[in-house]
Amino acid sequence: MMLKLAQIGRRFGETWILKDLNLQVGEGECVALLGPSGCGKSTALRLIAGLDQPDQGEVFIAGESQSRIPAHRRRIGMVFQSYALFPHLSVRRNLTLGLQIRGATALDQQQRVNQILEVVRLSDQAERRPAQLSGGQRQRVALARALLRDPLVYLLDEPMSNLDAQLRDDLRPDLRRLILGGPQPVVYVTHDQQEAMALADRIAVLRDGRIEQIGTPQQLYNTPQTSFVAQFIGRPTMNLLKPDSTEVVGIRPEHLQFDSAGLPCRLLNREWHGASQHLLLDSSRGQLRMVCAGDTPIGESSAISWDPKLEHRFDASSGQRLNRD
Amino acid sequence: MKQRCLWPWILALILWSIAPMFWQLLTSFTRSDALVNPTLGWSERWTLIHYRELLQSDPPFWRYLLNSTLVAGGSTVLTLSLAIPGAYGLSKLPGRLRRSLRLIIGAAALFPYVLLFLALLELARQLGWGNNLLYLTIPYAALSMPLALLLLTAAFEGLPQDLEDAARLEGMTLHQRLRWILIPLITPASASTAVLVFLFAWNEYPIALTWISRSDLLTLPVAMARIAGSSIYAVPYGAYAAATVLGSIPLLLLVLLFQRQIVSGLTQGAVKG
Repeated sequence: MMLKLAQIGRRFGETWILKDLNLQVGEGECVALLGPSGCGKSTALRLIAGLDQPDQGEVFIAGESQSRIPAHRRRIGMVFQSYALFPHLSVRRNLTLGLQIRGATALDQQQRVNQILEVVRLSDQAERRPAQLSGGQRQRVALARALLRDPLVYLLDEPMSNLDAQLRDDLRPDLRRLILGGPQPVVYVTHDQQEAMALADRIAVLRDGRIEQIGTPQQLYNTPQTSFVAQFIGRPTMNLLKPDSTEVVGIRPEHLQFDSAGLPCRLLNREWHGASQHLLLDSSRGQLRMVCAGDTPIGESSAISWDPKLEHRFDASSGQRLNRD
Repeated sequence: MKQRCLWPWILALILWSIAPMFWQLLTSFTRSDALVNPTLGWSERWTLIHYRELLQSDPPFWRYLLNSTLVAGGSTVLTLSLAIPGAYGLSKLPGRLRRSLRLIIGAAALFPYVLLFLALLELARQLGWGNNLLYLTIPYAALSMPLALLLLTAAFEGLPQDLEDAARLEGMTLHQRLRWILIPLITPASASTAVLVFLFAWNEYPIALTWISRSDLLTLPVAMARIAGSSIYAVPYGAYAAATVLGSIPLLLLVLLFQRQIVSGLTQGAVKG
């Protein structure tokens, strides 16, 4: 077990941004902290890095408490959403500076930087300034810098949020190959559930500074413990049917099927994506999102049903899961 | 179309600001009798005598230039070396404290310092700091400090927090972060602050007048005032104009040298890139 957060808490004034956070990230494991903005996920990262001090609890890296270790002496490789490259330095200098500070010889610096530039395919851009690079290239420089840090833990703070969809797809294999492939624990902060599902071994869904649920992507998808998690994981969002007195029934859009004997519905909206299409239906149990194959013919009105075994049931007031499985 | 309409205004503005300097330049090359006698012929008007007199006087005029350069340069170095760490510290204070401190510093920057010169003179006398150019940099640095702090704090606050965080995680101590990342990134602000402090020290009159009495230690403004008042019966316009010209050359050079840096700093703008 290489990274451990024990009862971590942080507050600003009277409000707790983060409270009683327990998390263990094992060797080579990637845990995504997923949640809406303001849920405390970036704060958690800053506490691990030592950029901020917890008001409660302790961070352990490789079994060692980090309470008395300042940020510059923790071996943390961090990738920022804003890239945080030093704008006045060339790509090469951005990478050698840290090595120099940490006492590497000039020869060693050049060798390691040349090697890493090769790895992130930026050898030709070595003498450029960050401002002369594209977003994807900048983020690859940032990855290279984190790699050169030779860290005990990798922290990724929304590393792909500033990139467009195409560049994200390009960068994802790099990320997987360079950072997620190593023996270090990785904490990956994101608000994008798809990214979390695609890259993380486990996902912790955060809400108001607490972990709502933690588990593998499959666990979160199949057995969400609260209606919040259920709504956060899976796209399109899970349908929550109009609650009766005590419970809310949730059913995933991909589990709905056409059935002439089922619930009658009227088509409100249709998005065609090629292989699939997203429908918005109006029924007596509320509006329903549905996903079906792209070639299904759709009429104005139809009828749908679903397998009751695929229903998720939640307590109407607390949002806790009621299914026994 | 719009551009063309602006031209007369631009020309007028340039004329407005350049004309007095041009007049001084002209005067400095004009013989004293030609200044009061417009009928003198064109070829008889010009002379270098004012410059020659200035440079041959005792002490020679370049001595004052040297004194002023020393004092202004020293004040600038002293101010920046104190204001940069100070401004960094200020920019890291929590919001409310920072805002009230900024208010106090702003008030100090607006305070008319002339009101202080008697008290400062008293201090100089007590401490024996009179007639020493290096000691003169101390009140100059102190009086420039509020403005320098305001400018530099704003520059530090303008840097993205992520940059310093990244530097910390790279293993840099506070000293190394300032040396390698933060001070290079605020160079434009430091340059414009330096120019302002230098200008202030170069032009300062009342403190220089009261702290310095030895004629070989005078700074330019005081020396020039002495030249202007050297005779009871006539105002030596020519010599005065020549002194003005010589006195402004270093400043012009300074601004020309720093201009590029200031402008590039302004256009560099978004540090995030």
